[in-house]
Amino acid sequence: MITLDRISKTFPGTDIPAVDRVSFQVNAGNICVFVGPSGCGKTTILRMINRLEEPSSGRITVNGQDIMSLDPAVLRRTIGYVIQQIGLLPHKTIEQNVSLVPELLNWPKSKIKARVTELLVLVGLDPGTVGRKYPHQLSGGQSQRVGVARAMAADPPIMLMDEPFGAVDPIVRIHLQDEFLRLQQHLKKTICFVTHDINEAVKMGDYLIILNMGRLIQMGTPLEVLTEPADDFVLNLLGDDRGVKILDLTRCETLMDRDRNFPYNPDSCLIQSVKPVKIALELMMKKNIDQVGVCKGERIVGVLTWNSIKEHISRVSRDRP
Amino acid sequence: MGFISFIQNNSGLVLEYTLNHISLVLTVLVLSLGLWIITGLIISRHDRLAGAVISLSNILFCIPSISLFGLFMAVPGLGLGRNTAVLVLVIYAMMPLVRSVYLGVKSVDYFVMEAGKGMGMTPSQILFRIQIPMAWPTVFAGIRVSVVLITGIATMATFIGEKTLGRLIHQGITRGNADMIIAGAVIVSLIALLLDYIMGRIEKKVISPGLRYRTND
Ligand SMILES: Nc1ncnc2c1ncn2[C@@H]1O[C@H](COP(=O)(O)OP(=O)(O)O)[C@@H](O)[C@H]1O
Ligand SMILES: [Mg+2]
Repeated sequence: MITLDRISKTFPGTDIPAVDRVSFQVNAGNICVFVGPSGCGKTTILRMINRLEEPSSGRITVNGQDIMSLDPAVLRRTIGYVIQQIGLLPHKTIEQNVSLVPELLNWPKSKIKARVTELLVLVGLDPGTVGRKYPHQLSGGQSQRVGVARAMAADPPIMLMDEPFGAVDPIVRIHLQDEFLRLQQHLKKTICFVTHDINEAVKMGDYLIILNMGRLIQMGTPLEVLTEPADDFVLNLLGDDRGVKILDLTRCETLMDRDRNFPYNPDSCLIQSVKPVKIALELMMKKNIDQVGVCKGERIVGVLTWNSIKEHISRVSRDRP
Repeated sequence: MGFISFIQNNSGLVLEYTLNHISLVLTVLVLSLGLWIITGLIISRHDRLAGAVISLSNILFCIPSISLFGLFMAVPGLGLGRNTAVLVLVIYAMMPLVRSVYLGVKSVDYFVMEAGKGMGMTPSQILFRIQIPMAWPTVFAGIRVSVVLITGIATMATFIGEKTLGRLIHQGITRGNADMIIAGAVIVSLIALLLDYIMGRIEKKVISPGLRYRTND
């Protein structure tokens, strides 16, 4: 668990704080995404958590311990860090790059070797061919995978990821995001994830922290932020397709009508209750119908209508006064 | 090809001067590498010192070698001979070596070092595992320049009594013996080429293949 308590940071020689009285808490096992425009202080917040920057005021604790009481190098070895610029060591092979933290922790050679192989496989790289290469021989996507593998090497419970999929094209990015989410289901790490891409934020985050000019503007689950944006800045950040994003994050069971009688037949049992409404909508459009049966397993539990979807979106995304 | 017969006829003398030349160069090289690489590393961590040290090395480098030999010869305790020769040549090697170490260390990608720091490397681990290995290509360029430089300037040490190959050149000039001059010049060049070649081989071993592509393409 990570807590920041009224953290401010003003860089020497500047008047405006880069981070201005920011407080929040990241619970164990969650992905907390920091999102906001370039220069809003995302990287600075991340770098204060592993003491690459010192706050001007405020207190940061990791698992209840004030980080100022810890040796910075020792602290950093327990926190995985994916730097925005990737920063692989060009004179070391991929294997050696991934071994970096385990070596600093003096793991035995055989354990390091096994771990490196395991990690490269985990991030989807072939240890046999890629392991012996040097960073300049890799593609952007491969480099970012190595950056993530290096951060995970010593199995740190906490990871700081600064735009970890920023340097690749959209298709590879979506692929890396999906893979990472799949990994996280088992790994259950506590993750601070920085991005300036709201779609990535909504997709990756258990919680979002929205920042602007060093200030925390809003925090909450993606659905909370999408349905109740705090102000025009957030509304703008969310984009023109806020309603569609909401449908992607809302489960069918949330909007279905439980009372209405739906004529049961196995063919009309079209969608599972935990599926996003977006999928139900797709079904309705494809089959040119305006209601679908919602099921838990084989049992029908309600009905989702075109009207109820429309009403919901209209309600949550109507223009605010 | 008169200079070849000159060498054959005076093989004892030529060999003595050649070996003496090489031993002077190697002594200077060992001392310079130790001294100036450490100096370069120190100033890479103290920016204000760096300006002063590099300016000093530039000034020293600009003094004509013959006057430097002459000046140091007059210093009590140095006088004629090897000590003075070594001292002067070490001073000449300062500029290329200190400068290349400083530039090499300073030009290491900031974000690579930040990554190292963020992984939990201590400042000395960053110096030895990142900065120095990544500085090698630049440092080696400086080493190879200074090897050639020292080999050449070592000829001038003949004026303070060192029996280097400069003696052949100097006496060739005073006696108007072209073969003698050429013999001296050719052997000096061959020594420089040989040392440069050896340095090149060492360089290939020391510099990571991950960095070598930058100089090759
Ligand atoms: N080392 C520094 N010195 C001075 N200003 C800095 C430094 N690092 C960041 N800043 C400033 O702090 C602000 C926040 O930067 P940063 O945290 O990198 O933003 P983000 O990661 O959200 O793009 C910016 O205005 C940036 O110019
Ligand atoms: Mg940033």
